[in-house]
Amino acid sequence: MKFLGAGLILVRALVVLFLVTFMITVLVRLLPGDPVDTLMPFATDEGREQLRSELGLNINIVQYYFRWLGDFVRGDFGQWYASTGDGGGVPIGQMLGVALPRSLFLMFYTMVFSLALALPIGIFLGYRADTRIDRTISNAMFALSSIPSFALGLSLVYILGLRLDLLPVLGYVPFTESPGEHFKSMVLPVLSLSVGLIAGFSRLLRVDTIATLREDFVTMASSKGLSNGWILWRHVLRPSSATLMTSAALQMGGLIGGAVVIEIIFALNGFGMLLNTAIVTRQYLAIQSLVALIAVAFIFFNLVVNVLYAVVDPRVRSARG
Amino acid sequence: MAKQRRRPLGLILSTGWLSLCLLAAVLGDLLPLPAWNDFDFDNLSAPIFTNGHWLGTDPDGADLLSGLVHGARVSLGISFVSVLAGSIIGGFLGVLAAYRRGWIDAVITMYFNVSLAIPIIVLTLVMVAIFSTPKFDGSSGGLPREMILVISLTLVLVPILGLLARSSALSWSGRDFVMVAESIGMKKRAILWTHIVPNVLPAMMSIAFLAAGIVIVVEGGLAILGAGAAPGASWGSMLAKNQSYFTIDAYPTLVPAAVIALTVMALNYFGDYFRTAIDDRESRI
Amino acid sequence: MTDVMSTAHLRRVGETILRIENLVVEYPSRAGRVRAVSDVSLDIVAGETVAVVGESGCGKSTLAKAILRLIPSVSGRVMLNGTDLTSLTGEALRCARPNMQMIFQDSISSLDPHLRVRELVEQPLKVWGRGTDEERRAKVDELLRSVNLDPEVVGDRKPTEFSGGQCQRISIARALSIEPQVLVCDEPVSSLDVSIQAQILNIIQAMKKRYGLSILFISHDLAVVRAISDRVYVMYMGKVCEVSTPQRLTSTPAHHYTHALVSAVPIPDPTVGRRRAVLEGEPPSPMSPPSGCRFRTRCPAATEKCAAEEPQLREVAPDQFVACHHPRV
Repeated sequence: MKFLGAGLILVRALVVLFLVTFMITVLVRLLPGDPVDTLMPFATDEGREQLRSELGLNINIVQYYFRWLGDFVRGDFGQWYASTGDGGGVPIGQMLGVALPRSLFLMFYTMVFSLALALPIGIFLGYRADTRIDRTISNAMFALSSIPSFALGLSLVYILGLRLDLLPVLGYVPFTESPGEHFKSMVLPVLSLSVGLIAGFSRLLRVDTIATLREDFVTMASSKGLSNGWILWRHVLRPSSATLMTSAALQMGGLIGGAVVIEIIFALNGFGMLLNTAIVTRQYLAIQSLVALIAVAFIFFNLVVNVLYAVVDPRVRSARG
Repeated sequence: MAKQRRRPLGLILSTGWLSLCLLAAVLGDLLPLPAWNDFDFDNLSAPIFTNGHWLGTDPDGADLLSGLVHGARVSLGISFVSVLAGSIIGGFLGVLAAYRRGWIDAVITMYFNVSLAIPIIVLTLVMVAIFSTPKFDGSSGGLPREMILVISLTLVLVPILGLLARSSALSWSGRDFVMVAESIGMKKRAILWTHIVPNVLPAMMSIAFLAAGIVIVVEGGLAILGAGAAPGASWGSMLAKNQSYFTIDAYPTLVPAAVIALTVMALNYFGDYFRTAIDDRESRI
Repeated sequence: MTDVMSTAHLRRVGETILRIENLVVEYPSRAGRVRAVSDVSLDIVAGETVAVVGESGCGKSTLAKAILRLIPSVSGRVMLNGTDLTSLTGEALRCARPNMQMIFQDSISSLDPHLRVRELVEQPLKVWGRGTDEERRAKVDELLRSVNLDPEVVGDRKPTEFSGGQCQRISIARALSIEPQVLVCDEPVSSLDVSIQAQILNIIQAMKKRYGLSILFISHDLAVVRAISDRVYVMYMGKVCEVSTPQRLTSTPAHHYTHALVSAVPIPDPTVGRRRAVLEGEPPSPMSPPSGCRFRTRCPAATEKCAAEEPQLREVAPDQFVACHHPRV
């Protein structure tokens, strides 16, 4: 029965995937201007013809969609046309190979860091609910979470980067070049993105902790003489993680959006920057493939969380007896 | 345990700040300030209280306070209009889907979910690109920048607000008093307007505040990406315009950033306060 | 599958104001379709109070909602004043609604929390365009007074400010505003305190007299029903197992299930010795009811015949009908 539920979620996700990618195809077609003129103003006639067929302008949109889909799932994301405007270009897959890891690192670090901090903070606040320290920290976090990540990023750059000169302000250093510099270059971006997440997650955990602490089984565990720390860790954390996972999925969308802007501010040349440049310079194929990639990643992430939730939740319930 | 009620102090501060911004937006023209796009070449990057520039100037010589005042009108205006439009359209679709169910519901919900599969900033960016002219910076005519932003933001908000309206309407539709209304012999449309919509409205209002904050942030993000309002016209585009000078003179960037942060904070507070008030009232039902 | 159940217990068509014939109601659940109401026939003579009792899940609430066409039925007829409601849809059905009104179990949730009491009670009048604004207001005030609520005090308040009993009274006032002929009460007092129950029952009785109502009263509590009804139906797992007067039902229950129900009602006299009939066996799943007589798995008198053949309602005593192969009468 559980697998039927999981299967249904999978089917739904696939349908959404198809519809999203098709919608993106349509949206890209709606971009104003003649693509051939924009991308290759100086090309030869045959060059233009080739571009026309590559962009699928000579076939109808549904045919084009399926052709593009076939290429997409095989990893062929199309060409990025040279700014010289005379044809020729770079495979987008190649550009992604450079840009994508940076963005992935950024988001991975952000998620890990946020969860790592939010867990103890949230549980602590729930444990000490309604005390002065709880109220102070909670209010502070509410205020902090309202600050947009780019504003926070700029402030951090100003304080830590320019005034105190502690950390590098711009640019990205790959891990392979120098681990130390790599991490140093990521600190400020990750920090900017994490503050909002930490505030959100710990708020959630706090509410969950308060509710779970009042449950009978915790009182029982406490009366058995188990230490508070042990109780908090084992009994409170597990039920709370379900809500946390759902929230993480929701926050992901905001995180991706925020990351795009942060990458520009910190000149990380990641996926977000690539996407932005593509849109601004009207790289039609690139826009289509990149936005589709984001959507796929996003849906995939939500899917994983949904399935995990369906699996974890009943077990958590039965574990609680 | 009751939800943690915010101290009234926060409410006072938020209301005060928002009122200030609204006043600036409405009465801005009457203030004795230089125009926001008037470049005072004698006072570039001036600190505060210099030569009639209360908050100083940016590297181009534009008065910062004047920029903020004008920006209030643009940013708040865009935010207000798009949230209002998004609420009306999204609310209508969401409530319709919830009450009619069947294939109408399936189609509308699928549309919502599909739109939400793409992160907000990315989708807005694409929308802006679609409505702009081939010359991305809008220099070759077409719709005014602000209108493009409003349309794009509205389109993006509709699924979010619609999903909320739908789930709220669904939960209200399941209540006994809706069945009672049917048994009395009320027409379906009458039940919708008399019973469901007035109960969904409070929830939507509290979300509207939060959505307004999100719009201001997205507008700022778009500006940094090069897709915002005309440079210096809104808070976001002020920030973006001065961001390129950040390492030389950070101050003109931090000022609009602080204003954005404070406004979003106030809006979030308001929305949260509203929501707690509604929750308290509804828990008694 | 069983043949259509007998309607031996129904009176002549001309006498009855509400007549349900062979009603079947199903609803989908995770494990397939559940037959909540299996071929139930019931009628009410004008001015009569008919009660339907049974344990939770026997289908009585579903029956009430299906009678009011708030949920669809699979087959069967619902005749109100000679009109077959099951054949009506859309606007025609809507126009037939004023003649039959319902009081629900959850009194508080029956009232829209955003409307004031006066607006709530006035609603049916407004929907059907009865009278002018002043006339309606006067009528609403009078209705509130008739259920012992002071219109000046409660009129402008919202439902959240009232108790369950008060909300139920407001619901009664509202239901009677358009003067229906039939009032269906779905467990109207089950969620109220015992002391309040008596109040509400008295009000219902008073209203019945005043408006000449015919009442269908659903309850799981035999004690509540005994005092006010003229005829009692006992339901078990979607089927009617006994129909009788309350007196005969309590003194000489014919069906073994009725006997168990009756013996469970407390008698406020410690000197009376009684043996409680305790039902053995597990209650069967509504998804796959037992063959033949549905009660046989818990019945002390069950035989092979009970498993092979479903019993039909037949008269075993004057105005006492039972669906059992081995009735106690």
